[in-house]
Amino acid sequence: MSAPLTRLARKSLLNRGVSVGLTVLSVALSVMLFLGVEKIRTGARDGFHATISGTDLVVGARGGAVNLLLYSVFHLGDPTANIGWDSYERVATAPGVAWTVPVSLGDSHRGYRVVGTTPAYFDRYRYGRRQALRFADGRGFDGIYQAVIGAETARRLGYGLGDEITLSHGIGEVSFAEHTGHPFQITGILAATGTPVDRSVLVSLESLEAIHAGWDSGVARSGAQAATGGSGLQPDSVTAILVGTDSPIRVLSLQRQINTYRGEALSAVMPGVALSQLWRVIGAGETALRAISVLIVFVGLSGILTALSAGLNERRREMAVLRAIGARPQEIFALMTLEAAAIAFAGALAGILAVNLAFLAVSARVMRRYGLDLGQAGPGLTDLGVLAAVTLAAAVLGSWPAWRAQRNALADGLSIRL
Amino acid sequence: MMPGRPAHPAAIDIGALRHAWPGEADILRIDRFHVAAGERVFLAGPSGSGKSTLLGLIAGITPCQQGRVAILGDPVGGMSPARRDAHRAAHIGVIFQLFNLVPYLSALENTLLPLRFSPQRAERVRRTGQTPVTEARRLLDVLGLDETTLGKPATALSIGQQQRVAAARALIGHPGLIIADEPTSALDRESRDGFIDLLNSECARTGAALLFVSHDTALAAGFDRHVDLRDINRMAIAA
Repeated sequence: MSAPLTRLARKSLLNRGVSVGLTVLSVALSVMLFLGVEKIRTGARDGFHATISGTDLVVGARGGAVNLLLYSVFHLGDPTANIGWDSYERVATAPGVAWTVPVSLGDSHRGYRVVGTTPAYFDRYRYGRRQALRFADGRGFDGIYQAVIGAETARRLGYGLGDEITLSHGIGEVSFAEHTGHPFQITGILAATGTPVDRSVLVSLESLEAIHAGWDSGVARSGAQAATGGSGLQPDSVTAILVGTDSPIRVLSLQRQINTYRGEALSAVMPGVALSQLWRVIGAGETALRAISVLIVFVGLSGILTALSAGLNERRREMAVLRAIGARPQEIFALMTLEAAAIAFAGALAGILAVNLAFLAVSARVMRRYGLDLGQAGPGLTDLGVLAAVTLAAAVLGSWPAWRAQRNALADGLSIRL
Repeated sequence: MMPGRPAHPAAIDIGALRHAWPGEADILRIDRFHVAAGERVFLAGPSGSGKSTLLGLIAGITPCQQGRVAILGDPVGGMSPARRDAHRAAHIGVIFQLFNLVPYLSALENTLLPLRFSPQRAERVRRTGQTPVTEARRLLDVLGLDETTLGKPATALSIGQQQRVAAARALIGHPGLIIADEPTSALDRESRDGFIDLLNSECARTGAALLFVSHDTALAAGFDRHVDLRDINRMAIAA
């Protein structure tokens, strides 16, 4: 006998339009907050895990996996040591290696890290779902004293194509050792990726070698002539190597090979594994955030409890009438539970629609500006799960006033309290 | 119809009934109370006479502790709570003193409500060749509610109108027994007499038995029989 009950519940709720509407609104807002936090959270996590993809191994001087990932990919902190060029060549020519991209760090420009690398970087560095880097403007470097800058570097510092910048030795925002004699010309600006690439300045290894020529002791030797030609600028060392293999099944054996290489103490890490380790450290906050947003949903749901409990006494007569007509006590219970669930369902639905519309409105802009992928717009499985969970939770909470209404109805019997 | 059941079983057949609320002395002790099919009985009973308890037992809302309660030939006293509720939905119409209507439903929807709770009652309406809505409109019209009031929410109706909608709701789907508990005490004299006349004539037309409860014995005139609860309830003498 659910047909008359759903009809009654609907009419009863519509009759109390304003107060029910406000309760629906509070549920909608709490669900919006929860889903908003959830979407940004998963967007951030996926974005983090998508910082580097398509690279099978990252090789650096011997050290911890997380540390290697931090300085080579996230450009955070300092490398413990560099890798000799001959080691780089051994890795590059090892069987099973499809490609390598050397990375050399240590300089900066106004606080933005300078990455010395080869043009292959633009083809091989992948992020997200194996997306390649894209030039928003210009092209890659093909000679020395040319630089490509990330999207955020360009936006924050207001740089355009053809602008000249000077690099600083070291990684501080203010440096006392500027390579002022050798300005770099910006030849390309990369589109936003949501990765540390956005905050970097990319130059060729030869350019770095050229500006450091004669800096053996760490300071510019007076009267030193920096070389300007393209030849003879092979670096002695690099900071890290990005490695791609012929086939995924070779990754483990190659990793073991590099880790046990006798010529130099090297570490090879799988970026995916290291990213997960790193996320476990920084992801603790996400759990707290999630717990708070779940609690807020319960605050929203408790509004339903208040609304239903407040009307309980006024509705005693109504319940006695329904009993006299033949409604069973369980049907009184079901009516109240149904009302609670209906309020929650309407609220959750409104919240889900609102949050999806909001994300639809901003996700393209967030993607363009920050390279953060907020996930697919439009309701997903999470939304359905939230809709079901919120409705169910409300039904469970609603069973408390429902039980009281049923108990009243039984106590009142065939009499109406005036 | 069950085999062996009389063609017109008594509307109410109570025998050797005893009832006490938990922790209290007996409130009801009735050796015999009988209302024939289609009979219209005026039951006088002041408050405290066990009237509400008796009506609860007859309607099947209150479980029977001891004795026999048979309504329209069905032994309500021995039924499970769910079956008593179903029996009430199908066979009994109830009119209260006040607040008879579900406030968020219109007059018409209130009248139709019993048909939604009892397929048997809906089926009885269908067998007369009427749709539920035309039958509800017919009853409301007979009871003197004009077309404009039918769509109004229950709260917008006067008390007199509410009571007549309650009567229409009790009568729809031809239940065999109508219980009216002080249905006119909130009405003025004129609408009171009109209400009782209408109720009596509609019950006579459909063949429903009527148990009309009131403390006002001046209303007893139009009924087949007049019973004082204090005469049949041996516990009420002390009260």
